[in-house]
Amino acid sequence: MVGQGSSRVNDAELIRAAQQGDKAAFEELVRQYDQQVLRLALHLTGSEHEAQDIYQEAFLKAYRNLASFRFECSFYTWVYRIVTNLCMDALRRKKVRREESSIRTGEDGESIDLLDQVADGRAGPEHELQSKQIGIRLQQALSKLSPRERMVFEMKHYQGLKLKTIGEALNTTEETAKNTLFRATQKLRVALADLR
Amino acid sequence: MNCDWVRENISLYLYQELADDARHELEGHVSRCAECAEELTAMRRLHEEMSQLPVMEPSPNLLADSRIRLSRALESMEQRRGWRWVLDPMALLRQAKFSPALAAIIFVVGFGGGIGSMYKLNAALHSGSGSAQEASIANIRSIVKDPTGDRVRIEYERALPETMQGSINDPQIQALLVMASRSTANSGLRMDSVGLLKQRPDDPAVRESLVFSLRSDSNPGVRLKAEEALAPMVKDDVRVRNAMLEALLNDNNPGVRSGALKALAVVPNDTSVHQALAQLAKEDPNEFIRGESSRLLATAQEKQ
Repeated sequence: MVGQGSSRVNDAELIRAAQQGDKAAFEELVRQYDQQVLRLALHLTGSEHEAQDIYQEAFLKAYRNLASFRFECSFYTWVYRIVTNLCMDALRRKKVRREESSIRTGEDGESIDLLDQVADGRAGPEHELQSKQIGIRLQQALSKLSPRERMVFEMKHYQGLKLKTIGEALNTTEETAKNTLFRATQKLRVALADLR
Repeated sequence: MNCDWVRENISLYLYQELADDARHELEGHVSRCAECAEELTAMRRLHEEMSQLPVMEPSPNLLADSRIRLSRALESMEQRRGWRWVLDPMALLRQAKFSPALAAIIFVVGFGGGIGSMYKLNAALHSGSGSAQEASIANIRSIVKDPTGDRVRIEYERALPETMQGSINDPQIQALLVMASRSTANSGLRMDSVGLLKQRPDDPAVRESLVFSLRSDSNPGVRLKAEEALAPMVKDDVRVRNAMLEALLNDNNPGVRSGALKALAVVPNDTSVHQALAQLAKEDPNEFIRGESSRLLATAQEKQ
C-alpha cells in the first residue's frame, strides 16, 4: 500500500471527488486501506468489537475532516495518523482499566482465546499448554509497554511498516520512532528474560 | 563502530532498517566480537518469540460487516446534514454570516416568501377557513375554551389532498415517488413507487432511495424490486455493491439473497465479495446459495 505510484494517482482523483461530496468515491478509498486498518486494530486490541469501533470512528473522522486534507502528505499517512491516535486512546483506556487479558471477545460477544492460536509448529496436545503459557507471557510483556511503545512495536514487528512511515503516522521523526522501538525491545527482553 | 552502537542497532538490523554500509559494518563487527554475537543471538530469539503471537487477518464477515456499518453511518450522517437545515435554520444563518451571496439569496427568498404567505393568509380569512371535513386533520395545535360561555377555539393544521401528474422524468414527480417509497404505512404504495423509480436508477437521489429500500424495507417484494433496479449498478457503484453484499449475507428472504448473488456475479474478484463467496460456499445453510457460491468462485478462478 505504501508508495504505490498508480494507486496514489487514483487516490488523488478519489479524494477530490470525495471532497466534493461523492460518497461512493470515499467508500472506494476506504476499501484500499480498511483491511489493514482492521487487522492492526484487531491485533492491537484483541477484540473484534473494539477493532470495529476503531475502524468506524477512524473512517467517519476521516470523512468529516476530508475537506481539511491538503495533499501535504499521503492519504495513507493521514488515515494512519487518525487510526494510531484512536488505537493509542484505546490502549490508554485499557491500561487504566487494567483490562489486559488473554481472553478476548469475538464478533458475536462470545469469548475467544487468542492464545489457542499461538503459532506452534509442533503437533499434539502435550505442547498445547506450554504454547498457551508462552502466549500469556508475551501478552503480559506487551501490556507493560507504554501505548506509544506498543504502537511502534506493533506497526514494526506485526504489521511490517517502515520506521519512516511509523514516524510520519505518529507525527514524529524516524529517529524518534527508532528510539521508541529500541526502548520497546529492551523492555520486552527484560520482561521475557526467564522464558529462556 | 563500537559495541554500544552495535547493541543499539541490532533491532534495526533484524528489521532490515539499517543502511547497506551500516549493515555491512555491523555484520563485520559481530563476526569478530563474541559478546555482540551473543547479543545478536539473544535478540533473534526475542524476535522469534514475539512472532509466536499470530497476526490474524480479519474474517470476511467482520470486514464486510464493518464496511456495511460504515456505509450506514455515512448515510445517516448525510441525512442528518440534510435535515439540519430544516430542524435548525439558525445553522444556515450561521453559515450565511460567512457568505454574503448566500445571505443575499436567503433575504430575497425570505422576502418573497413573506409576501406569498400574506396572500395565502388573506385568502384563507376571506374563505372563512374552510370546513374541517374537506381535509384530513394533520395536527391539533391548541384548544382554548371561553370561560364565560360554551365556545371553544381550536387551532389545527390541515392536510389537503392534491394531485400531480407528469412524466417520470419530472424531478417533482421523482421527489414524490422517493417520498412514497419510504412511506411506512402502505407497502402497496412503496411497491408501486419503487417499481416506477426502477426506470431512473441513474439519478443519484433515486439510487439512494433504492439502496434504502433494499436495505430497510420490511416487505420482501419491495426489496426485490429495488434489488432488480440496482443490479446493473453493482459494477460501478461501491455503495450499491455494499448494499447487495449486505442483502446476500443478512437478508432473511431466500429470493432476495439469490438475486443479490446473481447481481454480484459480475464482481467475483472484489475482496469482500470473494471472501463472502468463499465463506458461503463452505457453510451457508441454504443449498442453492452454497452451490452457486462455489460455482461463481470456480468461474472466477478460471478467468484469472
